[in-house]
Amino acid sequence: MKSIDDWRRRIDEIDRQLVELLNERSQCAAEIGHRKLQANLPLYQPEREKEVLANAERNNRGPLPDTAIRRLFERILDEARSVERHAMTPDNSQKKE
Amino acid sequence: MVVVMHQGATDEQIQKVIDRLTSLGFDVHRSTGAATTVLGAVGVRADFDIREFELLDGVREVVRITQPYKLAARAFRSEGTIIKLGKNVSIGGPEVIVAAGPCSVESPEQINAVAASVARSGAKILRGGAFKPRSSPYTFQGMGEKALRLLRDAADKHGLLVVSEVMDASQIPMMLPMVDVLQVGARNMQNYYLLRALGEVNKPVLLKRGMSATIEELLLSAEYIMSSGNHDVILCERGIRTFETYTRNTLDIAAIPIIKKLSHLPIVADPSHGTGLRDKVAPMARAAVAAGADGLLIEVHNDPEHALSDGAQSLYPDQFSQLMAELRIIAPAVGRRVA
Repeated sequence: MKSIDDWRRRIDEIDRQLVELLNERSQCAAEIGHRKLQANLPLYQPEREKEVLANAERNNRGPLPDTAIRRLFERILDEARSVERHAMTPDNSQKKE
Repeated sequence: MVVVMHQGATDEQIQKVIDRLTSLGFDVHRSTGAATTVLGAVGVRADFDIREFELLDGVREVVRITQPYKLAARAFRSEGTIIKLGKNVSIGGPEVIVAAGPCSVESPEQINAVAASVARSGAKILRGGAFKPRSSPYTFQGMGEKALRLLRDAADKHGLLVVSEVMDASQIPMMLPMVDVLQVGARNMQNYYLLRALGEVNKPVLLKRGMSATIEELLLSAEYIMSSGNHDVILCERGIRTFETYTRNTLDIAAIPIIKKLSHLPIVADPSHGTGLRDKVAPMARAAVAAGADGLLIEVHNDPEHALSDGAQSLYPDQFSQLMAELRIIAPAVGRRVA
């Protein structure tokens, strides 16, 4: 039988992958931010956020309920908006290029 | 700032709030509950008006978390501010500083007699009105500039400092050499032109709370003086209007520990105006010191029955002396001392 330590090691490994994926995701958001700035598009696009949440729920096979997935993704979207805002500030945008 | 949406607020309504927050520069944290959605907004600007969001469709409540004042806030100087008033007198430190004297300066004899007795009892500052903002234009309005000279002479003779009220910015140059602390009365607490003018002088200001002003409004008035350059502001609780008519005003003792927490500025209490009744002055003075006041402003008259203003709330000199003796017992219990 696996011990608590075994499960915790497994969690640590998953967390490592989560952090990597979240950062990869935020790099995508930053790229989008640059393009929104160039195309003069608004930072907040509710229709797109709705789509992201719907995708997450559609992909959900449990055991987490859809509401839990929604709450977690709302936080991910909050941070993505923040990253995009940073990328859309002209000063930061120029530094990147 | 936190925006709480109504139960059943539509997605469109929530989106509209997020959209507005985002365009103003806030980072939004959305949290969808079973029935209610809560939006947390971070990166608030000081000049922000929350009412804009209270009026949006679907919004139930908006709660401001940051304070609208900065320089007056405790966070600006967490250890508290000590203001030097004279050679050996500072307020905001361990010593509780008492200012005492008549409501109005009436004659050389009167102000000298009061100065001699309050100095003997341990007061450090002589108070006295030269320009009196009275509720009725037909009552005694003060002796004006002449009173300031009398105050200064009486104070110098007895080793006291002087605090007196400034009514208008035009009086400041004439008052500067005569007083050690410029007082802003309750009625002028929101005279922002006067407050800005006081921000440009190099002299401590005693700012009284307006009789219908909230603590936040008092701190914003202090912010006016400080943001104009003068950081030596002493706040004063002097009673507020309530439904109670027994006393002239209701002395808000709770304001003392609240202001101590919200601000680094010294806070004093004026139980004379706070109650308007002579026999209630000493109990409230004791309460104020016990609550943590950095000082007191107390009206003392050598002949209260014949005072030209506020005789009913002025202590007799021996009552003041008795009060000071009591304060010397109370102050050490809360880590302070009284001269």
